[in-house]
Amino acid sequence: MTSASLALTGCLSSGAGGNDDSIQIGISLPLTGDFSEPGKGVRRGYEAWADYVNSRGGLLGRKVELTILDDQSNADRVAADYEKLINQDGADLVFGPFSTRLVIPAAQVAKDYGFLFVEPAGAAGEVFNQGFDNLFYAAPAVAEDHYNHLAAAILAMPAGQRPKTAAYAAMDDPFAQGTAYGLKGKLEAGGIRTVVDEVYPPNTTDFGSIAAKIADSRADLVVGGTQYQDAVNLILALRQLGYQPAMAAFSTAPTNPEFAKAIGEQTEGILSPTGYTPDANFPSNKEFVEHYTWMFNSPPNEDEANAWTTGQVVAAAVQAVGCADPAPDCQRRLIDWLHHNEVDTVVGKLSWDATGKPRGAHLIQQYVGGRIRIVLPAETKEADLVHPKPAW
Amino acid sequence: MTGSLLLQSLVLGVLLGGLYALLAAGLTLYFGVMRVVMLAHSAFLILAAYLAWFFNVQTGLDPLLSLLVTVPLFFAVGVLMQRLLISRLRPATLTMMSVLLTFAIALVIEGALGLVFSGTHRRIQLPYSGADIRFFGASVPVVKLIAFGLAAVSLASLYVLLKKTRFGQALRATIQHRDAAQLVGINTGRIAGYGFGLGLATAAIGGTALALDSTIYPSLHWHWIGPLMAIIVVGGLGSVPGAAIAAMVLGLGQSLLQLPLGTTWAQTVFYVALFATLLLHPQGFFGGRLAQRF
Repeated sequence: MTSASLALTGCLSSGAGGNDDSIQIGISLPLTGDFSEPGKGVRRGYEAWADYVNSRGGLLGRKVELTILDDQSNADRVAADYEKLINQDGADLVFGPFSTRLVIPAAQVAKDYGFLFVEPAGAAGEVFNQGFDNLFYAAPAVAEDHYNHLAAAILAMPAGQRPKTAAYAAMDDPFAQGTAYGLKGKLEAGGIRTVVDEVYPPNTTDFGSIAAKIADSRADLVVGGTQYQDAVNLILALRQLGYQPAMAAFSTAPTNPEFAKAIGEQTEGILSPTGYTPDANFPSNKEFVEHYTWMFNSPPNEDEANAWTTGQVVAAAVQAVGCADPAPDCQRRLIDWLHHNEVDTVVGKLSWDATGKPRGAHLIQQYVGGRIRIVLPAETKEADLVHPKPAW
Repeated sequence: MTGSLLLQSLVLGVLLGGLYALLAAGLTLYFGVMRVVMLAHSAFLILAAYLAWFFNVQTGLDPLLSLLVTVPLFFAVGVLMQRLLISRLRPATLTMMSVLLTFAIALVIEGALGLVFSGTHRRIQLPYSGADIRFFGASVPVVKLIAFGLAAVSLASLYVLLKKTRFGQALRATIQHRDAAQLVGINTGRIAGYGFGLGLATAAIGGTALALDSTIYPSLHWHWIGPLMAIIVVGGLGSVPGAAIAAMVLGLGQSLLQLPLGTTWAQTVFYVALFATLLLHPQGFFGGRLAQRF
């Protein structure tokens, strides 16, 4: 591998990239296939960021131009795409794709070429134990830390109010399971007993039996390590069995605008970690929401925000270091700068450990009075945590 | 494991089995009548589910009313599909080529759904979607009960249709021995078209039943085709009662095995049953003598 990358680096320094006026940014995204919905969201976020930067004179006085390829949600293809972007298309910089499964092979290619690799969607723990020193996740927290504020709030409750038992149901997916197990570990350490621990495959269509186990356990707290459709199906299956927990938390689904349409009025009190809210008062967020809404006629979601954040993180490094070209020296300086600095973004201040893991936690949102409100942590909350939750 | 959990799982298993029976009925019919492996059946289920959802969103009426349109529509589409596409395949390679043809149709339906309704996950929001009826301490979800009722009525009607009507006799004759049926004056081509239409009409009902209690998205059909194929093989290809019994056994099995084994292993019950059937009793455990000829 080393000799191959040396040979390729040789190609690069004499290659097409870096000498013209614009900054070429190479990206591969799942625009078709399993991850096409979030993939398209990430594309909108990247396009909005590039448009915004160009409307303000570009980066280092140079226009940014995006080259976006479709990897069809395919891990083999994503690697070939980044090879092509770096090697043939002369990309000066690369941005990451969507989904852990695509981020890992893409990051490996970027690493082989010595490229900085900032990505909007690698929340699972396994992204950070592959030995990538060029990777940075442009979001507040990895999956295991999503529920940290909730764990702290539960453990701080007076004994009379604190849930005593918890039921966990998680999809067999590194991200979804990571969120639930992050909370499980902390609550178990705090003495909250686990009474159900179910893992189900992504193609599960029937949630009746899982719901039956949870309902039978009468757990005070139910935690779903979920994506979208499984959370909705599980919540309805739990309601159909007449189960009323004092607290219910599900990852991903409640942040989706379709969620309330699917569940109806019984969303009240449901908790969820979220990496982004358009209402957040971080300094650059207002411009982002305005520019994005102007371009796409609707406010941005988390995928779009993470893409924009990726742009912000790379731009901060480029401006600080003063270069944006594929030469190993420039890329190394960009990587080093991010390892030692903090960046102000639309999801708050971001800094990373040596593996590229962000040092933060997600906000915790809750449906209160039919609206999504941030309830934790105390310093950014828009409403008080409602506990116990109203019947669903 | 408590007694109430066992009873609850039993109730859910029976309801699930009923739904599986309805979803699989059409598949076994196509194979019985024409030796067609219809990979697009579950795609038609999802299409019907989308139509039920769209009907509900547009009119605000109960999605069950969409059946008045989708059942005749799907019947007509089935007849046309058989007459225009399936009947043109060469008899010698029919089974194999039907796999390719219906695979393509499934892809077309999936793509069209994505194009028209986008990949966004949809769910029909019903006033009774979270309601339940108590039964000896177990909960019987109302939507699952409705789906079960639809399955029971549809399968009973199908059974009566096949057993008691002249068309049913002609269809069964076509299933049992096509050449002999032709000799006694049955227009087997037309009967096959109607048989295919009947299969797709069950997909309209099944898809609507599915939409009552599932989140739907264009690629969902791939999750269904495997278990449904397993059901019709275990039940005996071409046998509607066989498919119904196999669906009930496997649905109950899945629901009960989930208690000791968890969801992942419980789902493998379909494939274990499929392997066991092919190994021990290739013509299926609960029905048709058909498979012996193949």
